[in-house]
Amino acid sequence: MSKLTKLSRRHFIRVSVMAGGGLLVACGGGSSSSKNNNTSTPPTDNGGEPTNPAEAFQVGEFMRISTDNKITILVGAAEIGQGALTAIPMIVAEELDADWSQVSSESSPVAARFNNPYFANLLQFTVASSATRGYFEGQRSVGAAVRQMLVNAAAKRWEVPASSLRTESSYVIDDIGGRRASYGELSSEAAQERVPTNPSLKNPANYRIIGSSPQRLDAADKTDGSFQYGIDVDIPNMLTAVIARPPRFNGQALNVDDNAALAVPGVRGVYTILGGVAVVADDFWAAEKGRKALQVQWNELLAGRTDSDTQRNAYNLRLNLPGLPIRIDGLVLTAQLFASETVSADYYFPFMAHAAMEPLNVVVDYDGSSAEIWTGTQSATLDKVFAGLVLGLLPDQINFHVMPSGGGFGRRGNPLADYVRDACAVAKQIRQPVKVIWTREDDMKGGYYRPAAAVRVSASIDSANNITAWTHRSVTQDVTALLYAENLLDSLADFTLPPLKELTDFETGMPYKIDNVLMDAHLTVNLNMPALWMRSVNKFSDVFAQETFIDELALKVNKNPYNFRRDLLSEKPRHRAVLDAVADAANWGFPASGRSQGIAVMGHWNSFVAQVVEVSVSANRELTVHRVVSAVDCGTAVNPDLVIAQVESAVIFALSSILFGEILLEDGVVQQSNFDDYPVLRMYQTPAIETIIVNSGNPVGGVGELGVPCVGPALANAIFGAIGERIRELPLTRSNFKIA
Amino acid sequence: MFTIRVNGIAHTVDVSEDKPLLWVLRENLKLTGSKYGCGQALCGACTVHIDGQPTRSCVMPISAVGDKQVRTIEDIGNEHIGGLVQATWQELNVPQCGYCQSGQIMAATALLKDNSSPSDQDIDKALSGNICRCGTYPRIRKAIHKIATEQL
Repeated sequence: MSKLTKLSRRHFIRVSVMAGGGLLVACGGGSSSSKNNNTSTPPTDNGGEPTNPAEAFQVGEFMRISTDNKITILVGAAEIGQGALTAIPMIVAEELDADWSQVSSESSPVAARFNNPYFANLLQFTVASSATRGYFEGQRSVGAAVRQMLVNAAAKRWEVPASSLRTESSYVIDDIGGRRASYGELSSEAAQERVPTNPSLKNPANYRIIGSSPQRLDAADKTDGSFQYGIDVDIPNMLTAVIARPPRFNGQALNVDDNAALAVPGVRGVYTILGGVAVVADDFWAAEKGRKALQVQWNELLAGRTDSDTQRNAYNLRLNLPGLPIRIDGLVLTAQLFASETVSADYYFPFMAHAAMEPLNVVVDYDGSSAEIWTGTQSATLDKVFAGLVLGLLPDQINFHVMPSGGGFGRRGNPLADYVRDACAVAKQIRQPVKVIWTREDDMKGGYYRPAAAVRVSASIDSANNITAWTHRSVTQDVTALLYAENLLDSLADFTLPPLKELTDFETGMPYKIDNVLMDAHLTVNLNMPALWMRSVNKFSDVFAQETFIDELALKVNKNPYNFRRDLLSEKPRHRAVLDAVADAANWGFPASGRSQGIAVMGHWNSFVAQVVEVSVSANRELTVHRVVSAVDCGTAVNPDLVIAQVESAVIFALSSILFGEILLEDGVVQQSNFDDYPVLRMYQTPAIETIIVNSGNPVGGVGELGVPCVGPALANAIFGAIGERIRELPLTRSNFKIA
Repeated sequence: MFTIRVNGIAHTVDVSEDKPLLWVLRENLKLTGSKYGCGQALCGACTVHIDGQPTRSCVMPISAVGDKQVRTIEDIGNEHIGGLVQATWQELNVPQCGYCQSGQIMAATALLKDNSSPSDQDIDKALSGNICRCGTYPRIRKAIHKIATEQL
């Protein structure tokens, strides 16, 4: 009935007939322990073990074609707003030659077969702009294989060679015989066909769906209130909890007086968990009132005492000390010795909060022997591992539902699963379905921020005005160092850690033709100051320093910042192409009257971006950002409109960080709490945004973060053009700009 | 016990008088389209219409609703302009994560009902109370202009 064929060492697909007709495709990868049965046929190869509900779900399908010609594709990447539920099905549909209007998508269960190939097939992990580029090739292979099976089934039915048939919009067509059959009609027969090992893939020139911009598949549900996020999950007998947390990170409850809290109508109980006290109630409002009535004394002997000012001084001191070398080209010391001048600049960036619109929340239904969990997450595999550790359950005993997120920006991709662990700790005590809701204040004060960073860059110039040496030193908290902490490795037992270098790497891709380069970094570990990646991670700070300083050098040698970059990028055609494209689109050199322009360029995530920002600054330092023009080369744009939307999104996200973004700590206590003291960009502050896609035809690159890092330096360079002042720290409100 | 009129239907709920309308809608009436974002009328995700006026339901106690008409995202498509706003939002792929869009659509609908050809300044004034972290502002602006010029 079903067949298993290796497409590669790490991928297999199996195709079978669905109960009641239709075709079911299961796609696997990553785990040798994957069970190979499916839900539509009796299990034949699971060793006779009983299949419990969670297991049945885990071995579910990847894609199904039903007899009415409808195609459903399950997506392993999390939908966090970037359009994963649209872009990834487009890839399958392309090679399948599907009728896009009949395609729908759903979030997949948490199972090895949905792991992201980008992370060596080890994790479902939607970070590092890796969804589309990570899943791209695998999705193509599955689509192409199933298409071939449909063709083969039709060839058998009509007794003609498969090579005489073609496919179009979910039909197999026999031009000679003048007949056609829908995929739905053929699906049951196709399921009997051998799965091709090396299905031929389309020539990109023949793409019909990839490269087009159909409407997002989730657009309708996101405009009528019916789209379900984690916070909307509602199950019978569900209680609601909020958690009182210590003012300082890693404090613990010492004494809890819950009399007043328990007296609040609707409050059901108060439970102390590791790192907090949960108030459980019939509804959110009662839980919140109960928490306000709660009296907790905290033990903060071992709690975090991070202080923004103190930390800044410490980081600045470390800028004077050599760090861990991360890029060495040539001989910087020698070049500096022979230089006619060496100049340098120091930069500082504060902690910042992700502040996604949907505050964190988790629903857990734990009955002592199994659990069901619903949450919006970018890190489902690790969340499930930690949920199992807290609840004492095996993975097969947990049915984990990845809900679409109301924004993530990295905060929902915490490899330490902080918010899932908390919710499981509450559920373990009450053994009744519970939704743990973070208020905005909880979310803002709850840690896991973009870490503060200090950067020093220097350049050496010879007597002919050539840049002969470049140094770049970063000091920041390292997210990966935290991950590899010993106690965590123990708890994960033999779980293999993913290759995380790409996630946290410092910007070593300084693209300019400079012979002698030294980049080094100080990776600080502070377990009492939870830090995490935030959209574009270290590129935000490293590229800011690089691209503002290169502007300074240009002016120092009397060159136009655009031409100066262009000359130094003679061996970097893709950087140069986006730089030229943006200069052209923004009419570089000719800003509107009273305005000033700044430019910046970078490459990362296998993609390239250049941006021009146009500003004006009034006499009383009122800053207006008028226009941001971006040119991006992401190799192949699967859905160009989604790419443009991501760049628009990134520009606005970056502006919030650049203009206002700052989490301040005083003696370990976070000072911000909500959107009044942590402002983000609003409609009236939003510039005109134009985005050009430079189609290079290269392999698919990432776009989720691409539009973030260059906005800051381009903006700072424009400010210099306007008022002759260099920006060396963020946010700009620190430099007394008023934001118009 | 409070009786409120939501989307044309009277509902009686047994809740404390200070419970915000948002949580009555979401928890008691299971109308989860209106979202919690800040709890302090700072972000606009909870915006509903009360007697046609865009209102932050997260700070409006149930006791203050009285017999006013509450309309939510679930029903706004039944109004001519609300339906146009939803359709144009889809056509221009406005939503990204989509979490703030209920509030954005309620604010945009109220604006267009009041002003059939809003200027950029009118849009700034009417929509700046609604935060979007995905940065859909340019498309929201474009959608509002498109509705005004093509359909009103």
